[in-house]
Amino acid sequence: MATDHPTPISEFLRQLKEASVVAHREVEQVLPAIEAHGVQVTLAWLDACRRLFDFDREAGKAFIRGSREVEKVSETVLPWTEQALVFLRWRGSWRALEGFMANLPRAFGSLGHAGERRWSEIGFSWCARQIESGGAYFATPVLDLAGRQGVIGIEQLAQPAEELFETRKLLLGTYLAGAIRVRNLLGAQAILPWALRGADIMQAGRARGEAYFRLESEESLALLLEHLPGYRLADRNRLLGMLLEVWFGTDYELKESSWSPEKGRPFVEIDGRSLYFPAVMASRDEAILGVLHGASHMRFGTFDSLAMKEMFSAAKVEFPESGPVSWAPLYTRYGDDALRFQLIFDLCEDLRVDFQAQHLIPNYLPRLIAAAQAAPPRPVEAAAYFNLALASLDEALAATRARGVRSKRFGPLLDSTATVADAFRVATAIYSNDGLPHVSELEVFHAAYLPGRGPNSSRLAHPQQRQDQQKQQTQSGADSQEQQEQGEEQNEAAQNAEAGDQQDGGKRQEVAGLGDSSGASGRQASKAEQEQRNAGSSDKGKPYPEWDYRESRYKRNWSWVQEKKLGESNMAETGRLVKQYSNALKRLKKAIQAQKPTRLAPLVQQLDGDDMDINAVVSYVAEKIAGRSPKPAIYRRREMRQREIAVTLLADMSTSIMQHLPEGGGRLVDRVRAGVLLFAESMEEVGDSYSIAGFCSKYRDNVTYYTIKDFAQPLTDDVRGQIGGMSGRLATRMGAAIRHATACFERVDSRRRLLLILSDGRPEDYDDGGDRRYLHEDTRMAVKEAVSKGVHPFCITVDTMANQYLPQIFGRGHYLVLDHINSLPNKLPEIYLRLRR
Amino acid sequence: MKAATNRLRGVERDIVQAPQAGDKAPYYEPQGNEVAVFEAAYKKRLPVMLKGPTGCGKTRFLEFMAFQLNRPLVTVSCHEDLTSSDLVGRFLLEGAETVWQDGPLTRAVKAGAICYLDEIVEARTDSTVIIHSLTDHRRKLTVEKRGIEIEAHEDFMLVISYNPGYQTVLKDLKPSTKQRFIAINFDFPPEDIERKIIVNEVPGASPEIAHQLVAAGRKARLLKDHGLEESTSTRALVYAASMMGAGLDAVTACQVAMVNPITDDIELSEALMEIVQAHFSV
Repeated sequence: MATDHPTPISEFLRQLKEASVVAHREVEQVLPAIEAHGVQVTLAWLDACRRLFDFDREAGKAFIRGSREVEKVSETVLPWTEQALVFLRWRGSWRALEGFMANLPRAFGSLGHAGERRWSEIGFSWCARQIESGGAYFATPVLDLAGRQGVIGIEQLAQPAEELFETRKLLLGTYLAGAIRVRNLLGAQAILPWALRGADIMQAGRARGEAYFRLESEESLALLLEHLPGYRLADRNRLLGMLLEVWFGTDYELKESSWSPEKGRPFVEIDGRSLYFPAVMASRDEAILGVLHGASHMRFGTFDSLAMKEMFSAAKVEFPESGPVSWAPLYTRYGDDALRFQLIFDLCEDLRVDFQAQHLIPNYLPRLIAAAQAAPPRPVEAAAYFNLALASLDEALAATRARGVRSKRFGPLLDSTATVADAFRVATAIYSNDGLPHVSELEVFHAAYLPGRGPNSSRLAHPQQRQDQQKQQTQSGADSQEQQEQGEEQNEAAQNAEAGDQQDGGKRQEVAGLGDSSGASGRQASKAEQEQRNAGSSDKGKPYPEWDYRESRYKRNWSWVQEKKLGESNMAETGRLVKQYSNALKRLKKAIQAQKPTRLAPLVQQLDGDDMDINAVVSYVAEKIAGRSPKPAIYRRREMRQREIAVTLLADMSTSIMQHLPEGGGRLVDRVRAGVLLFAESMEEVGDSYSIAGFCSKYRDNVTYYTIKDFAQPLTDDVRGQIGGMSGRLATRMGAAIRHATACFERVDSRRRLLLILSDGRPEDYDDGGDRRYLHEDTRMAVKEAVSKGVHPFCITVDTMANQYLPQIFGRGHYLVLDHINSLPNKLPEIYLRLRR
Repeated sequence: MKAATNRLRGVERDIVQAPQAGDKAPYYEPQGNEVAVFEAAYKKRLPVMLKGPTGCGKTRFLEFMAFQLNRPLVTVSCHEDLTSSDLVGRFLLEGAETVWQDGPLTRAVKAGAICYLDEIVEARTDSTVIIHSLTDHRRKLTVEKRGIEIEAHEDFMLVISYNPGYQTVLKDLKPSTKQRFIAINFDFPPEDIERKIIVNEVPGASPEIAHQLVAAGRKARLLKDHGLEESTSTRALVYAASMMGAGLDAVTACQVAMVNPITDDIELSEALMEIVQAHFSV
């Protein structure tokens, strides 16, 4: 064949063959297609091949290899041959050329000739800026770049990148993949803010920045989720929790799942222990239905171990003796058709559970049906399942209203005694009889679920003991078991306590030593301590009794409280908090001022004052005329009632306050600091006498009480700095701290004394031997003692489980559970104002 | 018949007034043994303290008992500026003369009425101590300004109400005051009784609506620990039924009677509305 060519071409081929056999062979394969465009064109193309090959062997090969396909799609040769020659301008550009050639056919095909020109121009400008960026650009599939929007899509992507390259030297390669995903999820307008933040992070640390741009780091995901449209479940955690409590009576654990937008449609997931909600769901209705539906699975025995066992044995799959159970073996036997079976099975099980939930939650089924009817249309395959599910719900609803109308197919499930094993049986029957379409795509699979429902087996299951079984167990049986368990615990604890007693002598010294090193720096504390020492108490601090419920008696001089000054101070943090909460503080101060006239109820019937007390005047005159000699207390005075109320804010400074908040945005301690600071600032405005203290403990003889501000002390920057420096350490021996705080009230002569305890968990210490009740009971007694000394303790906690123990310790109405940790700073002063009114 | 209503409505009445023949008994649905306890206390003229949350029927119970025992009922709603003269009485000027006017407590003591001090914790402590001498074996009221003492009428009885649920720790009755009383605990009535109350209180309320309202109320009370100062009361349920009776749709009626009044918290009202909607939307 080669011999037929006129001389320049055959001459060229001969030269090429000498240079590279491989290249020659490849050129020969492409040549016929090129030759159709005429000799001039062929020569130009061959010239380009040679020049590129001379420039870089790889570049040449890539060009030749790609040419055939490009020619086919574009039906031209010269335009892209000229474009390819542009790469000669840059050293090391072969990789970019390789990408260019690979993407050319698609560029021509999807963007057209003009679009292709624009696409390549943008790429060339990047090659000119930095060749790796150009390489990354051309290596990215054109369709991804365009994102179904043609050249405009590409320009949308490139524009922010150019800006960032000019200002921040951000390389396209770092940015591109992430930016495409961001654009697809959130739209083009979201790219720039996302990338700007990324550039900032990049400057702080390269690895962190790269992770950000790969959308792998927490912060970039968080930023993405924040901008996703839809109903944000994470913000509504409290509402969802309340709804669960209302309808199911129990607090199922609600956790945020690791769902991210690429994983497809968000679902509420369940594992038999907890509910996992995604950050965002399409609508409020879907989110609430999802949570209620998930909780119904847990309540109505989807994870019932007996039924699960039955189901597994019906499927001839081994059921693990213990530990979490994987659902996968149930599906694997269906091979390629597993998704189809899974959909049918979920449909049946969901129907069973929803039918039962209707009895618990009025109007649940109608709501579910309404949400499904309002849902956007689905792909054909998904719609088959979707409509079947909807029809089954209609049937379920009919079954709740008029008894006995049950179809053969779903009938067995519309029964309160049906189990997950029944659902499995029904599903197997439907699978073999019905002509539901095969499902292979994840998108279709997801779309097949009704709003609120979702794949039930996305997590490993934790089998539960059956609910009605538990109920069937006679009350006494259950009780005695519990008692037994408790008894065992108690015994253990008692032993521990005894052991502690025996070792005491040696241990105490050891512990004291530990305390010194772990506590605040001794230097600053020394003055106060010395004074105390002079006053006769030892450096072990002040002893307090502790209540032992097991023996129903006080242990004398049992807990030792050391009063210290908080060594740490962090004025920068305080400054930051003041700035962050300046608006809240302004609002609070305004609220306090607005309250003042009523709050400072004018003193009536005074012997002197600014105004007449009309009532007093009338009765004075009347009594005078009646022949009595009343005291001339006929004035009213507007004046702060000094020393009326004294309040101590006692903050739990145990390790747990250092935890990060589940909803993100810092640690609990940040909110505590802010709360205490706002409290202090508002108290200045209110004018009541107040003190601020913190406490922590390690063993009974090392309870540290940090006085941050005493009653007599003014609110100085030193105090503010200490508030900023508050941090968590050790444990929570609350009783001892309450006793000490109560004792401190002796320094003031106010008649009304309020002890506000700010806590994040139950009283606990290292030496309580796991017997929670011990410190609970002691704290309860400490509260009682405080009350009898005229101090009103009131506990504010952020522990949502606190309803279980605080009523016993503080009594009804003497505690408050804050559902929102973020509301703590603003709430704390408000709570005080409410308490004192 | 019309004349009888006129006598009751929009006309000045003296606060001390025994039930008249032909008066209709106030409606009250007993929840437990409270009637028997109260009657026993009345027999021995011991002072009674009614404890329980707002809107659970304390005041209605007392109206009912006063009617049953055929005694006048004198009600004083206590507030923080309530002075002892407001209870006992004061001198008034009349021309150049002064006239002593008995306060409601004094009048009740003289007339042998049941004196009801509603929300006694709200009153200042100095005004609550004057009841001490009335609540023990002395049964005497000291009128300091006139320098006299009044022996209580043999039928006189003192009743106070007290809501321990308020989160105002600084306002509590002194133990010395508390322990002078026979205390009856009230709570929201059981479901069947609450349904009966709604049907009886609101003419035209169907048993079905009562059923749904009570069920919704039960659920709403579960949210007490989430920042509600007061939970949904029986009174609120009755109001909701009344609003429905006046033609309002069920969800709105519940919202204005059961949700809006008790909370400003957006999420709490959202949760409460979820409960309402579940029970009432069709």
